[in-house]
Amino acid sequence: MNERRARWLFLAVLGAQLLALSLQVPDPERRSSFPESLGLRFLGPLARAVDSGADGASSVRESFRRRAALVEENRRLQSELERLRLEVMRLRESDDEARRLAAALDYGRQSHADLGVADVVYGDFSSWLRTLVVRTGSARVAINQAVVAPAGLVGRVILVAGPYAKVQIVIDRTASVSAYLEPSHRQGIVRGDGNGGLELDYVLQQAEVGVGDRVLTAGIDGIYPRGIPIGTVTSVQPGGELFHSITLAPAVDFGKLEQVYIVNSPSLPQSLKETSAGARP
Amino acid sequence: MRVLRFSIGLLVALLVHLAGMRLVPHFSLAVDVFLVVLVTKALDGDVVAAIVAGAVVGLFQDTLGGTLYGMFGVADTIVAYATALLAQKVVIQRMSGVVLAFVAAAATQQALLALLAFVLFPDPELPRVGWVALRIAVTALLGGVVFIASRQWRQRYDSWRRNRTARVHFG
Repeated sequence: MNERRARWLFLAVLGAQLLALSLQVPDPERRSSFPESLGLRFLGPLARAVDSGADGASSVRESFRRRAALVEENRRLQSELERLRLEVMRLRESDDEARRLAAALDYGRQSHADLGVADVVYGDFSSWLRTLVVRTGSARVAINQAVVAPAGLVGRVILVAGPYAKVQIVIDRTASVSAYLEPSHRQGIVRGDGNGGLELDYVLQQAEVGVGDRVLTAGIDGIYPRGIPIGTVTSVQPGGELFHSITLAPAVDFGKLEQVYIVNSPSLPQSLKETSAGARP
Repeated sequence: MRVLRFSIGLLVALLVHLAGMRLVPHFSLAVDVFLVVLVTKALDGDVVAAIVAGAVVGLFQDTLGGTLYGMFGVADTIVAYATALLAQKVVIQRMSGVVLAFVAAAATQQALLALLAFVLFPDPELPRVGWVALRIAVTALLGGVVFIASRQWRQRYDSWRRNRTARVHFG
């Protein structure tokens, strides 16, 4: 092929790519495209194989190195298990009591969401493209389902490709979560700060905010259920004229994630979302 | 044969990337193994093959990345095309020249990604300059080593084939 034809091919390929790119920009929900799903279906099993291989190698190494430590850890975990069993018993009693009181007050309790387990097969938390690829297996997963870890919120599903799903992590610059501060119940919006941390925006200067305050999901964005820990306040500065400038440390250590849980809570119906978006005060 | 070689290189890069991500913190910030394969391919000077390779490698990176699908595709296609054109016009033989080509390719890729981020996102998050410099340096060094090694391997392979053919004809 001569140089002129090669140039035309280059322009055609580049044009197609730019067109595909520009079609995604106005889509805030970031719907998945066919090539992306196909790519994830192909790369997902490879990532899983590498992950399993690395797990196996490190577990063999660890088992040789930490045999004595494991015995001690086992003993400690046994005692912790006993303590937690007692704690569960105590909480069950409290739960029963709360249930009885709620029934007496005719208060409809919010049902707990189901959780589906997913294995993390690929995670990139350090570069500016913060991604997590998880293997969900046969569980039904949909876009915008919340993803959590035992320590707190991880993010939301943005792409589903067969048994694999791509998760937008909460520390991503483009992610935003409605949240509230635990002691004051002031609400704001949590965003990634671009350096692996989080920012809490739109909290009024009048609100009392202290370092160490917990920040939880507010449950008003139609994606994340209420009450999931997002992080803790690490600094509070006077921001602009109206709002604090608050930074948070994420509740989850993303570098150590091996399994996550996908929340199967009923999401806000699309019609309701559209109605509320178009609503006027 | 060239397609097979490129496919094997891409597969190896993918495995190295996945293993690196699993074992080394900040691996993806420090090195771009996909770019090594891409530039090595583009330095052959075949423009069409380079364009296709750029699109394919870019799609791989886009699949693993969390940003808009196609950003790496655009950047890698341009880098591959430019590198192939350069390889057609300039004979790059020495290690220093190869490393320089990799430096230029890695820097161009990062600049294009930053440009696309500025155009497509209202408040783009960009990597730190220190990390970008490290990524360019490590990618260039690795690229230099891989390119020289693959050229030597190819020369040995060609010589082995010639000898084998000679034996078949005259032995």
